[in-house]
Amino acid sequence: MGVWDKEQYVREGVPPFQDERRFTQVGKSVPKIDSPAKVRGEAIYTDDIVLPGMAYGRIKRCTEHAHAKIKKIDYSKALAHPGVLAVLIGDEAPKKWGMLPQTANETVLAVDKVRFNGEGVAAVAAVDEETAEIACDLIDVEYEPLPVLLDPFESMQRAGEIQIHEDAPGNILHEGEQVFGDVDKAFKECKYILEREFKTNMPQQGFLEPQAALANYDPQNGQLRLWSSSQIAHYLHRQISDVLEMPMNKIRVTVPTVGGGFGGKAEACVNEFVACLLSRKIGRPVKVTFDRSEVFYTNKGRHPCHMKMKIGLDADGYIQAVDFDNTLDKGAYAGWGIVVLFYSASMIHLPYKVPNARFRGRCVYTNKPSMGSMRGLGGVQPRFAMECMLDELAEMMGISPFELKMKNAVESGYTAVNNMYVPHTEYKRSLQKAVEKSGYLEKHGKLPFGKGIGLAGGYYITGTAYTLYMSYKPHTSVLLRVDTEGGVTLHCSAVDIGQGSNTVMAQMAAEALGVHFEDVHIQSHDTEVGTFDLGTFASRLTYATGIAIRDAAEKINGKLKEIAAGLLGCRADHLAIKDRKIYSIYEAERKSMEWEKVVEIAVNTTGSLAAMGHFSPPRRRGFDLTSGKRAQGANIGHSPTFGFSCQIFEVDVDLETGKIKVTRVTESGDMGTMINPMAADGQVEGSIVYNLGACLYEDQFFDKDGIHLNPNFQDYKMPTIMDMPEMDINTLTDSYDPTAPFGAKETGEGAVQPTFPAIVNAIYDAIGIRFTEVPITPEKVLKALKEKKKGK
Amino acid sequence: MFLNHFEYFAPQAAKDALDLCDRLGAKAKILAGGTDLLNLMKDKLLKPEYLIDINNVDEFKGIFYEPGKGAVIGAATKISEIERSEIIREKYFALHQAAGELGSVQVRNMATIGGNICNASPAAETPTPLVALGAKVVISSLSGDREMPLEEFILGNGETALAEGEILTKFLLPEPISGSVSRYGYIGLRDAMEIDAVNLAVNLALGEDGRIIKQLKLVMGSVFPRPLVSEEAPEILIGKEFSAELAEEAARAASSESKPISDIRASAEYRREIVAVLSRRLLQEAFSAAQGEV
Ligand SMILES: Cc1cc2nc3c(=O)[nH]c(=O)nc-3n(C[C@H](O)[C@H](O)[C@H](O)COP(=O)(O)OP(=O)(O)OC[C@H]3O[C@@H](n4cnc5c(N)ncnc54)[C@H](O)[C@@H]3O)c2cc1C
Repeated sequence: MGVWDKEQYVREGVPPFQDERRFTQVGKSVPKIDSPAKVRGEAIYTDDIVLPGMAYGRIKRCTEHAHAKIKKIDYSKALAHPGVLAVLIGDEAPKKWGMLPQTANETVLAVDKVRFNGEGVAAVAAVDEETAEIACDLIDVEYEPLPVLLDPFESMQRAGEIQIHEDAPGNILHEGEQVFGDVDKAFKECKYILEREFKTNMPQQGFLEPQAALANYDPQNGQLRLWSSSQIAHYLHRQISDVLEMPMNKIRVTVPTVGGGFGGKAEACVNEFVACLLSRKIGRPVKVTFDRSEVFYTNKGRHPCHMKMKIGLDADGYIQAVDFDNTLDKGAYAGWGIVVLFYSASMIHLPYKVPNARFRGRCVYTNKPSMGSMRGLGGVQPRFAMECMLDELAEMMGISPFELKMKNAVESGYTAVNNMYVPHTEYKRSLQKAVEKSGYLEKHGKLPFGKGIGLAGGYYITGTAYTLYMSYKPHTSVLLRVDTEGGVTLHCSAVDIGQGSNTVMAQMAAEALGVHFEDVHIQSHDTEVGTFDLGTFASRLTYATGIAIRDAAEKINGKLKEIAAGLLGCRADHLAIKDRKIYSIYEAERKSMEWEKVVEIAVNTTGSLAAMGHFSPPRRRGFDLTSGKRAQGANIGHSPTFGFSCQIFEVDVDLETGKIKVTRVTESGDMGTMINPMAADGQVEGSIVYNLGACLYEDQFFDKDGIHLNPNFQDYKMPTIMDMPEMDINTLTDSYDPTAPFGAKETGEGAVQPTFPAIVNAIYDAIGIRFTEVPITPEKVLKALKEKKKGK
Repeated sequence: MFLNHFEYFAPQAAKDALDLCDRLGAKAKILAGGTDLLNLMKDKLLKPEYLIDINNVDEFKGIFYEPGKGAVIGAATKISEIERSEIIREKYFALHQAAGELGSVQVRNMATIGGNICNASPAAETPTPLVALGAKVVISSLSGDREMPLEEFILGNGETALAEGEILTKFLLPEPISGSVSRYGYIGLRDAMEIDAVNLAVNLALGEDGRIIKQLKLVMGSVFPRPLVSEEAPEILIGKEFSAELAEEAARAASSESKPISDIRASAEYRREIVAVLSRRLLQEAFSAAQGEV
């Protein structure tokens, strides 16, 4: 076993003053601090902000083609229209942007050609929204249509004839291979071998608040302010600086309340650049808010994957080898592409022990909206394949899928063959708990035809090991201030997109300083007021800010303890701070002072207290442990620690209509300490419904010319409240990662991982059909049932 | 996104509404709940110069029932009012069911039954049960009222028999004959806010003996440009003793009468299949319920 050892687990007999797990602020279900304003309708979102002299920007889109040369843009009529202040076209901002600087290939507005249906070709600023819309209609664009490539295999095949990007021969963004151990040899020794193909759909994030950005360029001092609904204030800041060719220190990014992101706002967005460029052009504030169709046109949803997977088990059911081939449909631009490609590669190394593994993958351009980082990035697709195959392999062996998964599950201290290190896991206990709570073993294989139960597990990272550009600076810094006026203030530019990071940061800061949650003021969402943070993605914030907060608090506590020690007449290292009291851990009754009093004395003698805290992830490298050889892209997938979960779905299949009704979901997860159990449950429930929709009906459709057929919530179906199943959430309450701040790991993305395969395995249990493609619509179910009948 | 510029009228009396309609003709559109109309205007598919809001006209609203004669429903009655009406639930159950399935709570609070019919979408919720229940419409204009069966009013996708200057003012639902029961059902991907892949209504009456089928109307929605009344199902079932086999035969017949199309919601083949399943289920359900009635 690794760092974490069962012995340390026993809490009995640990004196409270030595028990770092006896929390007063962490582990409490306090209401989220942003909730009251949201519920009352008082929260201010970007689009709510109106500045004096503000103009409205709008983007002219190519709605008639998915791939076409731009022959001519004539905007003279638009410019002459009363109330129009400026027109912007692609040539004016030709600098390419993208999440990964190495593959940045998107321009603000199309230059020379459009590569997906709905791409922006021009933008206008006008005195009001209506005029802006009219002006867009007045812009004439002449196109020469090009052949449209919608399928990644066709795209590779026809690359000689038609190339989507000049610098991407073969229409491939990136192709890669990773080899660990000796896969071919291992397969030769396997008793059970299964090979399957899987295909996934193209869901998008479905956040409620469309992208909105407001920019204000001040021509007097050359400073730019940007308010935007973004998950990544920092990466946005960088890219605005890059495209506008302005130093970062002249730009300030503020994120007002965000109405959901789920990864969809984890990339810069065209409206942000357009607002900034137009504002600089006219010297007035400019706001650009998308309507829903624009969200769909430019959505950076989940990469459809065409996967081939082969898994081999030895006679006892231990996994010996996994061979995984993945073709990702990238859509039009690179974005997060390479990262997603290699995340999908890393996903086969956990949560089971895989001694030999091989990955081959390619990210292929097509004329669709660019895929991006959707909740559970890179994980959902391979998890679907692997968990379904383990279900089938268990059947081949004649054992329960639960037994097979328990047998292969990783333990704390495990190092995968690609050098991914798991400091702590309670995956096995998650499996056990969900199985026990759902009655899985009593029901599986025994329910009447049409009713089924399915199990699947999964894991996800708790933050990344690297930034997306070459830098090894701390990923998060916080500034803690304590004074007699403002009390406790925590500064950090981290963005709360609804998941609750502001609340959780306040709880952790209160815990670390020994004060109350209500005492902490949070200054986040702003690159100038807040200190550095990498962004809201990769389920990283609780862990990263937690470590930085603890670091800063220790420095403040040190100063306060020194002062209190003098006043109380004891050693500073004998003092503890909790519940707004500083007291000796040995003589709490006699030697104790009000925390506030000590702060007052400290401020009166040396002034306000302030301290920085930082978080830098461990720098782990991916290589083949058996040969010591490096593998390309294998640094991706490492994380300081990992969250785990298990879901068990129960379904009723209507045998005549093919409709699947999810009747019950039993979940158990290992996320370490739940800083806020109520918020954590919310994440899990949200995750389940999130992928339930994507598994059963969500998808985007395109006609043969690549025209988007359902860019609206009427035809793009997400679950409604009527579709919510009964959910029994049993997050482990005693999981604690000793390497993590307050013992906490992640749940934001881990809990979306098991959903597809748990549903698919349940459907198999119900009707004996293994689906390998999602979404599984009633029509597909009925067709499969008929084919099954015929086959008999 | 933006509506064209229009002039807005909110008449308080039926006479004024009809007067405006007469004067403004094709340049005007009636505004009821606006849940269809405003979407079409935002998409620039309609650009009326005038909107005549009929929500303030009391004569166009409300549910009135007279025993032995039947019900009168004002065209501007909200779907939510129909959903909650005790008398509709008791006498015209299929309409009650359909009203409860239209959109969401918010949509039902805005939407009207007249709007649902005049919009004439093949996938709409209420035309199917209304036709099954034998509803007639009253169309009013300055020159007086005319009546016609709903089947004749809806002509096709988005097309009705309304002429310039006319307003749909009332629905007339006959008193259900004794021993009759109506049922409505639909199939879509999710359980709310759904545009039906198929919907269906049956209105069935049993004879005194509680077994022989005296009357039957089976109407299919979303499988033809307008509500499709099965001709064969009644031929198979009327005058016969109800049985599962006959219901299956009638359901198959209805299915072969349907003429669905394929779109992103479902294929024609699947829709045809579902017509058979829904028909059989609703026939069975209505039969069982009717047995309880006699
Ligand atoms: C989110 C959403 C979900 C929906 N879900 C469903 C659903 O599940 N099922 C369904 O069937 N529909 C659904 N609809 C469509 C719509 O709500 C219904 O068709 C509704 O009944 C329309 O009524 P309305 O009063 O809003 O009509 P309006 O939009 O006001 O009018 C519709 C049309 O009818 C005309 N009109 C209205 N009343 C009269 C009258 N008395 N005389 C003459 N002409 C008239 C108008 O001029 C207009 O052309 C949905 C709509 C939305 C926005």
